Amino acid sequence: MRLSRRALLGSAIAAPTLARAQGGDPYVLGTLFPLSGPNAEYGKVFTEGVQLAMQHAEAERMLRRPLRLQAEDTQALPQQAVVGMTKLVNVDRANYVMVGFTAVSKAVAPIGDRSKTVMVNGGAVGPDLAGLSPYFWNTIPLAHLETREMLPFMMRRNLKRVALVYVDDPLGDAILGIFRNDLPRAGGELVGSFSIPRTAQQFGPVAARIRQTRPDTVYIASFGAQQGQIIKGLRDNGVSVPLTSYSAMNLESIRNLAEAEGLLFTSQQTDFASGDELTRRYATDFKARFGSDPGTYNTNYYNATRLFCLLAGKLERENKEVNGDTLRAALLEQKEFDLVGGRATFDEQGSMTAAIQINEVRGGRVNVVTG
Amino acid sequence: MLFLQLLLGGLQTGALYALTACGFALIFGATKVFHFAHGASFTLAGYLFLLLWNNGHPAWLGVLAAIAVATGFGVAMERFVYRPIQRHEGGFFTVFVAAFGVSLVVQNLVGMWAGRGFVVADSSLSRATEVLPEVFLAPVFWVSLAVAAVLFLALGIFLTRHPAGVALRALSQNSDLIRAYGLSSHRLSLLAFALGSALAAPAAVLTAITTGMNEAVGHHVMLISMAATIVGGVGSLKGAALAGLSLGVAESVVLNFADPQWAEAASFVVLFGFILFRPSGLFGHAVAR
Repeated sequence: MRLSRRALLGSAIAAPTLARAQGGDPYVLGTLFPLSGPNAEYGKVFTEGVQLAMQHAEAERMLRRPLRLQAEDTQALPQQAVVGMTKLVNVDRANYVMVGFTAVSKAVAPIGDRSKTVMVNGGAVGPDLAGLSPYFWNTIPLAHLETREMLPFMMRRNLKRVALVYVDDPLGDAILGIFRNDLPRAGGELVGSFSIPRTAQQFGPVAARIRQTRPDTVYIASFGAQQGQIIKGLRDNGVSVPLTSYSAMNLESIRNLAEAEGLLFTSQQTDFASGDELTRRYATDFKARFGSDPGTYNTNYYNATRLFCLLAGKLERENKEVNGDTLRAALLEQKEFDLVGGRATFDEQGSMTAAIQINEVRGGRVNVVTG
Repeated sequence: MLFLQLLLGGLQTGALYALTACGFALIFGATKVFHFAHGASFTLAGYLFLLLWNNGHPAWLGVLAAIAVATGFGVAMERFVYRPIQRHEGGFFTVFVAAFGVSLVVQNLVGMWAGRGFVVADSSLSRATEVLPEVFLAPVFWVSLAVAAVLFLALGIFLTRHPAGVALRALSQNSDLIRAYGLSSHRLSLLAFALGSALAAPAAVLTAITTGMNEAVGHHVMLISMAATIVGGVGSLKGAALAGLSLGVAESVVLNFADPQWAEAASFVVLFGFILFRPSGLFGHAVAR
């Protein structure tokens, strides 16, 4: 009896060691996405990209250790995100955490910074997300890069008098700042700026105020279900000028909205049809697994996950530990990676640069206008 | 003209708030159950209407189905959630947590079933045209006011003329007396839940046509209903309806004087004012302690 107890105890102690020796401990990839609430559509889109990248990484045997996805629901709210990040860091011991939304990213960055956990954003575009922490990286071009393309385009289309509807959060404030500074320089005029709470659902009164400013275009800086409500609210209430926005509009619910016809928005450039082999395989497998063509956000989080696999694979080959510091050192050493959409370059702050294109919603499809 | 435009827009929104608030107030007043899942009735009704509408079914069928699902959900909540809790002498907080839990489950089920995004019924009813210089009105404005007026009139007649309506009012005032007269408070509670939940359905249908839905819309509805019940005076249907209308108007008209970010805050400034200076609400009665 005593012997068997000893044997049992011994095997219990030895089991984790053996598992480690066999590469049994998985790398934990944490996600802090909205999985419920009015922004849950993004969570689904973001997660699809991560899932496909994990599938490809396992098929290619990119890593010696398996990958485990640990999802935490943020509802796109900073408070929930902080709780989720604390759990990912302290309980799940996440090696790498993917985040979205500007307010969420800014809320969790200090936690990741203290624990030296790499955080990667592929969905938020607040300009101050660059340089938030040495461990905070972006696989999406930030808002200032999007407006840098959109403002000259608006001037060329003679959309010079701009009314801005912006959500009352760090993203909206950042875009207001950009418009105040850069729009006059581009030759335009900010004729009105209308801050709205994140929970606002009625936009008829806002449309009445906007009509009074006689704009050439209305730029919308919001996200989630609210974007659709704004577009419908403006169109239903007599605002007929072209609507303009940024990459958050790249959602199925917006494409399917009749009132979104003619909407112009920026996004990063990705050519799924004539790209490299990685991009083509990604587009094909995405459609096979999820039944639709991939969008920008799917791609950004696929790239974020693939980036981890490339960096961790490199560290494994060099027999180095995979942690925040070694991942960061590997990123800065290499800087250029083959990702979906082509060769991606990261700057010293860990932000990816990419060309921007302008899209237009027509007949339920997104067509590239320039880029 | 801006003020007139905002006032008209506020009346349209307020009519819908009044319907949902009145439904909540009817349930709370008669049964004293804090039916937090009232927002879930709204969500289910709106999504079922959208499902039928987007699949080409006639609007009347969608409206009837919406009323049926809202009523069925309300009755099921009373029968299978609140009554067992009350049977075990569960307190107010237990009821609240159960209702909150159910509303979260409904929200997630709707999200899984209908997708987690913005959905809207594409209808010409919501498209406004310029009726006066700088004043735009959509046909749905008249529909909203007419629906609210007809339903309030019908509810008023039912509660004052029909024996079941009179019994329902009696239940809200003295449930022991109801039992002394040999009436079933359980049956009357079911009726309160059925009527109150059914009132949310037309508002949900009109919201699906105007501002659209997402699976989390129920929380906003609940917030407005709760505020209107307090402002109107707990137990007063007339008060809840008037308060709902006022909150909608306040939310809109405030844009004449302030930035849009203050729109929702305006509702809660009104609520806060009532809590401070008239806690019994518009038509409530102060109770001596």
